[in-house]
Amino acid sequence: MLKAAWLIAKKDLCLVMARGGAWVQSLLLGLLLVFVFSLALPPGAQATAQTAATLFWLASAFCQVLAFNMLYALEDPTQARAGLRLAPVPVQAVWLGKTLCGLILLVAAQAVFFPALMVFLAQPLGPGWPVFLALLALADLGLAGLGSLLGALAPGQAARESLLSVIIFPVLVPLLLAGIRGGEAAFSTALPEGLTRWIGLAAAYDAVFLGAALLLFPFVFGDDR
Amino acid sequence: MLTLRGVSKRFGSRTVLRGIDLTLDAGTLALLVGPNGAGKSTLLRLMAGLLAPDAGTVERGCADTELAYLGHATFLYGGLTALENLAFWEGLYGGRSSEAELMAALKRVGLERFADVRAGVFSRGMAQRLNLARVLLRAPRLLLLDEPGTGLDARSLTMLRAEVAALRAKGTAVIWISHDLTGDLPMADRVLELANRTLTYAGPAADWPGRTAMAPAAGTAGGATC
Repeated sequence: MLKAAWLIAKKDLCLVMARGGAWVQSLLLGLLLVFVFSLALPPGAQATAQTAATLFWLASAFCQVLAFNMLYALEDPTQARAGLRLAPVPVQAVWLGKTLCGLILLVAAQAVFFPALMVFLAQPLGPGWPVFLALLALADLGLAGLGSLLGALAPGQAARESLLSVIIFPVLVPLLLAGIRGGEAAFSTALPEGLTRWIGLAAAYDAVFLGAALLLFPFVFGDDR
Repeated sequence: MLTLRGVSKRFGSRTVLRGIDLTLDAGTLALLVGPNGAGKSTLLRLMAGLLAPDAGTVERGCADTELAYLGHATFLYGGLTALENLAFWEGLYGGRSSEAELMAALKRVGLERFADVRAGVFSRGMAQRLNLARVLLRAPRLLLLDEPGTGLDARSLTMLRAEVAALRAKGTAVIWISHDLTGDLPMADRVLELANRTLTYAGPAADWPGRTAMAPAAGTAGGATC
């Protein structure tokens, strides 16, 4: 299953890089979010660490929705979804492969968003960045895993775009809150309180939802007409 | 190789297939015929495992790696080259074909010159030939074909029939949905006729009553399509 997942992830990455446009759009959307917010600040003013962290995770969440719409749309033109279901591998390999590809794209986008926040919102890098990295890893894993599950819900571009956006954001709230606390730690001069609780929450969220994704994905991906 | 017992399928309140019983032995080519909307594609997808029956059982006498499905959709990725598409599907099926073996498969379907060309620019015929190469690499024991000749030129169609005949000679069981009975019926060992949501005929092609409808009238061009 791991080998199949890696094959699928590699194939998706090749296709995304070959197309270029769709992923670049999601990157630009995130950067636009940061830039436009920076224009809203009075000259010389600095956004709070919490505001900067919130923007980072909003940009990441939008990027993730667009990424998974794009990743599952790769199979639409030639109904390759049926081909993947016929392949003699556990169908969860598709979920895992798309999760892996989505995770790589998300981290690559965040590598652009983070310095953009530091530049446009004048955010310093605080002493809490190791905690931020831990929460980043947990939150990104949850974002990617859940995005991959829900991205498979509706075959067909239009249905998927609407459904994914509507369903995913409410479900992501606990993870986004944990990620925002981690972002605060990265941009603050002092560590916020209660970070270990947020790390625990993010880890528990990932355990529950990634486990659920493994169990539910065959039902989500399996319907065929 | 393939056994269906009492298979039925509904979509919502609409019954598409009812009480389908059939057996297909290795090395047999069965033509699945019937009017448009009879449920042929649905039956084929049930055989492939893409759909679950609402009643009855589908038993395949081969491993999942030995089943191949060739339909209207090619399952190819337009952004990958012909060679990359083959490598991806071969890898997913656990194959370890070298690049030379993949090139040989492309040569067999006349696409060796297009190995590094993205499948997205292929014509329908070229895409279906690449799809056939994908299937031939697997040497399947059960081959399900859903109007694979649609949109193919005469040369490609002849190649497709020759390859399928070769697979059948090696023991592959084949089910072929066809609307071109003039061209495909001579190859068939059996005919499965679907009408009114059930099989109205499942027997030797030579004894199929519909065969007589294809005999050309004196002085006219021959052939019937279904």
